[in-house]
Amino acid sequence: MTTFVLRRLAFAALLVFGVSSASLVLARLGEGDYVSGSLGIEARRETVAQARARYGLDKSIGQQYRDWLGRAVRLDFGTSLLYDRPVRALVPERAANTAILAISGLLLATAVGLPLGIVSGSRRRGMIAGAIRAFSIVFLSLPPLLTSLVLIFVAARTGWFPISGIRTAIGSRAAALDVLHHLVVPATALALPMAALFERLQAQAMSEVVGEPFVLAAMARGVPRTRIVWRDALKASLRPVAAVYGLVIGTLLSGSFAVEVMTSWPGLGNLMLDALRARDVYLVAGCAGAGAMFLAFGTLMSDLALATVDPRARE
Amino acid sequence: MAISRGGALVASVRTEPRTFNRFAARDSSTDLVATLTQARLVRINKQTQEVEPWLAERWTSSDDGRQVTLTLRRNVAFSDGQPFTADDVLFTFEAAYDPRAATVLADSLEVNGRKLEVTAPDPHTVVITFPAPFAPGVRLLDNLPILPRHKLDAALKRGAFASAWGLSTPPSDVVGLGPFVVAEYVPGQRLVFARNPHYWRTAPDGTPLPYLDRLTVDVVPDQNAQLLRLTAGQLDVTDGEIPAESYATVKRAADAGRVKIVDLGVTLDADGLWFNLKPGAFAKDPRAAWLQRDELRRAISLAVDRQAFANTVLFGAGEPVYGPETRANKKWYWSGTPKTPYDPAAAKALLATLGLTDRNGDGNVEDTSGAPARFTVVTQKGRPRLERGASVLREDLQKIGIGVDVVALDGPAVFERIVSGQYEAIYFHPVRSDTDPAISPDFWFSSGTAHLWNIGEQKPATEWEARIDALMTRQIASRDEAERKRLFDEVQRIFIEHAPVLYLAAPRVIVAMSSRVVNAAPAVALSPLLWSPDTLAVVH
Repeated sequence: MTTFVLRRLAFAALLVFGVSSASLVLARLGEGDYVSGSLGIEARRETVAQARARYGLDKSIGQQYRDWLGRAVRLDFGTSLLYDRPVRALVPERAANTAILAISGLLLATAVGLPLGIVSGSRRRGMIAGAIRAFSIVFLSLPPLLTSLVLIFVAARTGWFPISGIRTAIGSRAAALDVLHHLVVPATALALPMAALFERLQAQAMSEVVGEPFVLAAMARGVPRTRIVWRDALKASLRPVAAVYGLVIGTLLSGSFAVEVMTSWPGLGNLMLDALRARDVYLVAGCAGAGAMFLAFGTLMSDLALATVDPRARE
Repeated sequence: MAISRGGALVASVRTEPRTFNRFAARDSSTDLVATLTQARLVRINKQTQEVEPWLAERWTSSDDGRQVTLTLRRNVAFSDGQPFTADDVLFTFEAAYDPRAATVLADSLEVNGRKLEVTAPDPHTVVITFPAPFAPGVRLLDNLPILPRHKLDAALKRGAFASAWGLSTPPSDVVGLGPFVVAEYVPGQRLVFARNPHYWRTAPDGTPLPYLDRLTVDVVPDQNAQLLRLTAGQLDVTDGEIPAESYATVKRAADAGRVKIVDLGVTLDADGLWFNLKPGAFAKDPRAAWLQRDELRRAISLAVDRQAFANTVLFGAGEPVYGPETRANKKWYWSGTPKTPYDPAAAKALLATLGLTDRNGDGNVEDTSGAPARFTVVTQKGRPRLERGASVLREDLQKIGIGVDVVALDGPAVFERIVSGQYEAIYFHPVRSDTDPAISPDFWFSSGTAHLWNIGEQKPATEWEARIDALMTRQIASRDEAERKRLFDEVQRIFIEHAPVLYLAAPRVIVAMSSRVVNAAPAVALSPLLWSPDTLAVVH
């Protein structure tokens, strides 16, 4: 198992390195740069040249990449041109906000999706199961971006929840409660499609398990149906969901990017967008690397879950 | 309603400022921070467009207009309590001109490419000598926030001024003469500004300004989210105008009494289409025979129904524009601006003079070699108004047989294309620094860095550009305002005749604020509601 984990960690390191490097190079290859964007058309050529020299943008792509790589091995990922702060400080700050959103979304999706999947999977017929299935299909087909728009609209009309941001500018509410209040719209937007996915997977697994001989035998012995479903069948049906859980964590980041932008959640998605718009090459590389770390972590979790339930996966 | 002191206001910006140092960046959020925390020697009142005393309480000019003596207000202190003197003004000019700092303000503080000479005979007097006669005089100083020598001198001396007052600077170190001080900066979320206890201005009734205790600027990148927050009462003002496509939503909120809407009339700078007029830009291209010709631009001007263009692109919240200035420029707009009619037949006739006619009956015009007349227009991605405008242009020009390919690029890429001259045509929103044309010589002079259609000419490429150069030289130097107006009218006439930039329609500036905001002074400006932050107040 240790070798398996080490192999996966080496893969994760390679992924982060590859994604960061490619992002830096691609951001440099595009037309225009940070200086042309920030100084505009009216700046003098000498001013532009001086600014490019200050930011190292006057070097060739190869030279700039070599310099960046030389520093990156010492965990110095450069200074953001946009924010004039070390990328190493900026990215974890925003990644923490993304993690808050992603974890909340995941917990909410699990809390909603799994029980509904159990209900709809254990009762194939009936209005409740049908309604759950219908809602799941609707939310499964809606991207988080669209869900955000709908929820923002509802929040704006009702005034029940803040539409954007992570904290209220002025107010006496306790900090944690305030963040929770702000989390409702983005976390729900992120959670709904995921909850629908969990519901469908869990329902499928549950419907298969309730037909197993051990369940039928328990029913024949007169064990109450609720007890069989929520105790015995549930345990057996959790494996497929557990296997995809890690993969869902990996894809959470891409889903949360859209939600972050729509709800002004100050996470990695918004930071990446700012960096791309401004052509802040070092920040683009840092954000992309952090995104790759999320993905690698998710994949590792998925692999570990699979390896736990199926030893053949460790090969 | 009586204005009372106190309370807090929540504003929003779409992007974070790049720095607290206005000398190092020119983006709108950095400019807003400077407006809130710094002060200038004089201020251009954005409502009247006239200069008014600010840190300098009065000034006199020499007979030849080249020297201005400014008397500074007494008993003015920076936000940390240190007194403000003429030495700070000298320092500010030193910093602006420092070659190591390469500040973004240096260019705008030069006349004919030469620096101003600044001396301080005593702590409350500053003498500024212009290198050449310069009609706008102190108007130029509205660009320049006055900085504290005691805080930034060390950075300037060690060549680190460009990176001084970055966003990681502790807020208490950012010292200024403006109405507010930076109290808190939360990256990615907000900036909180508190009242500057040493601010020097008072209201006419003697109330110390600013009225507000606190002003919070939330970072809300998405414009729709900004407007939703405004209409939901979670925001008091935004940093810009309402885009035409969102007007109906905000109007409903206004009808319900949740927000107030103010229509400020047409904007100062219209979106424009221009071609690459650099001589030789299409040397190896057979289209060179017609792509840079005046007749093509005149034909395009005739082919666009400007009223329909305004109705479609600006959703009716705009008006046709026929020249380089809009009616919003109260002093310098040429009332004799001829109104180009919508006349596709005349446009086709003009194209025929260029050899562009429909030779094969397919509805498109071809040149003498039979190649279809087609060109590419570059515009900025993510700016819906520009993308709509380029699309409508394509449809209008198709009607006279010209094919247009629209390419939308992000901001830095568009700037790079403009500066490098790697384009055929651009549809963009160029902004000039001030209403007075003498403050924007880079646009008007052929040698200017913002002479969009042919940046940085060594000498005027055309006879009409040479005429504009000569007229603008006189316009900038003349001390007779009537003469200056006459000269600039003539510049506009030549500009319209040759149409290096085709202006088609300009949007109306419509701003919205929450109903608790009082004493706002909305104006057509970069920050229509926040340009005069010390007099803003809220019902609390």
